[in-house]
Amino acid sequence: MQPDAATPILELRGFAYTYLEGTPRASEAVRNISLKIHRGERVGIVGATQSGKSTVVDSFVHLLRLGQGQVFYKGEDVAAPGYDRGRLRREIGIVFQQPDSQIIDDVVGADVAFGPTAAGLSATETRERVEESLDTLGLPYADYRLRYVHALSGGQRRRVAIAGVLAMHTPVLVLDEPMAGLDPRGRKELLELLIQLQKARELTLIVCSASLNDASLLCDRFIVLDRGTVVMDGPVREVLREADGLAELDITLPEPVVGAREMQKLFPDFPTDVLTEDELESELLTRLGAA
Amino acid sequence: MLELQRNVIFGQFVETGSFIHRMDARVKIAATSVLIVASFLIDTFLGFGVLLPLLVVIGVVSRIPLGYVLQGSRIFIAFLGFILAFQVLFYARDLPESSYLWRWGILSVSTEGLYTAGILALRVILLYYVTTMLMLTTSLVDLTNGLELIFGPLQRLRVPVNELVLVFVIAIKFVPIFIEEMERLARAQTARGVPFDEGGALTRARRLGRLLVPIFISGFARADTLTIAMNTRSYRGGRYRTKLRQMRANPSDWLALTLVIAWITVAWLV
Repeated sequence: MQPDAATPILELRGFAYTYLEGTPRASEAVRNISLKIHRGERVGIVGATQSGKSTVVDSFVHLLRLGQGQVFYKGEDVAAPGYDRGRLRREIGIVFQQPDSQIIDDVVGADVAFGPTAAGLSATETRERVEESLDTLGLPYADYRLRYVHALSGGQRRRVAIAGVLAMHTPVLVLDEPMAGLDPRGRKELLELLIQLQKARELTLIVCSASLNDASLLCDRFIVLDRGTVVMDGPVREVLREADGLAELDITLPEPVVGAREMQKLFPDFPTDVLTEDELESELLTRLGAA
Repeated sequence: MLELQRNVIFGQFVETGSFIHRMDARVKIAATSVLIVASFLIDTFLGFGVLLPLLVVIGVVSRIPLGYVLQGSRIFIAFLGFILAFQVLFYARDLPESSYLWRWGILSVSTEGLYTAGILALRVILLYYVTTMLMLTTSLVDLTNGLELIFGPLQRLRVPVNELVLVFVIAIKFVPIFIEEMERLARAQTARGVPFDEGGALTRARRLGRLLVPIFISGFARADTLTIAMNTRSYRGGRYRTKLRQMRANPSDWLALTLVIAWITVAWLV
């Protein structure tokens, strides 16, 4: 049960997947993906639409018709007969692209309580978890617990969905396009919250996105997908150095990197692995000073 | 895991480029209507037997795999079986004692009951098969245009043909969209701990009940969006629109329709 530290917490080996396989409407989503994610890592899975991100996310908790030998959690094959999928889903929390789809109960408090209750926690413990999760996401428990989910705004519903997953205290947290539909302030708040949560709970954090804008501040490693295969895999700065290649894959680059690419017109050797505007600025000042 | 789209193909369109796909939509709609009428007129096993080769020909020529159609009809077949069981068990008529095969209180199985249920089953299957084939082989645009052209003359009687056809086509198109939506919801909820992929048929069916409220809400939201989209693009029926692609029935289309009608007449008369 307790594999050594070298065993990746999540691993895909030659993962391939076709939806509605064997029917005239079959569509190939993932061709060949191998990747290893270790405990406590902050990984960004990036790629344009149709690159296979969401299919990879679904495979982590066995939501597909998986064959054996492709998806491993803590070194165990999740598609092996008799594998405890319930436990797998209690340990990997997923926040889907459309938050509405994963909201089960009409009332905010009851929905957030769903996971802990299903996991067999006592009423007191469940209540504590609900309160903690809602407060963390800036939805004060006393004010929100009895509100109807459908009467909330899109951003608030996303927070409820995230709260529902956080209340499970999963060691692995997966977010599919978490920033979609949020205003700049909402994005900044969520970004700070995720960074803080990841540190506090030593989470393994996986973020899927077609944009590197927030992901570059949140992750320390990027896995870049293109049409169902891995095309780049490495530390954030290393991947950002390939800015031209990323832009060709229709991946939205972080704003500082966009600036850096503009600068390359003046200084052909201007580096593109800049994470913040400050880094961009100091890089530019050095060049100007030298000139 | 839950792949509902495999088990419900109603309303889907599968392009194979076959002769049936290329046929004029109006002719296909006419042939389907004739077959529907036939399903009510024919009332002998022999009649349906005569019709069977025609259905096989349609299936083969359309190049849509039979296995795909059968798997996509599993829920329909299960439902039909359920209905037919009632039809047989509660077939209460004044029957001679000799025709009862089994009896228990008000429940019974009689030869007459089995016969009626058998004919009913064939009727429903024929209805289902021809409408499913029409939708599998006709794109939504063709279906809309075809229906509008067929019912066009009614416009003189102030019947809102375009609107009615649109409502009908949207209703059909929403079925696959709902199925996809249910699949998405079921996946997301499974990830949160409602195991849609475990348990017996009854438990699974009961879990599907959980999806009804969110499905309805998203359905209304979708309908709203569609209305706004149509209004912003000034939709007002097809009346003032001209078409780039005019529908034209070829001699082969007419030949196919004649063949279908002749075949049905034979099946009806035997």
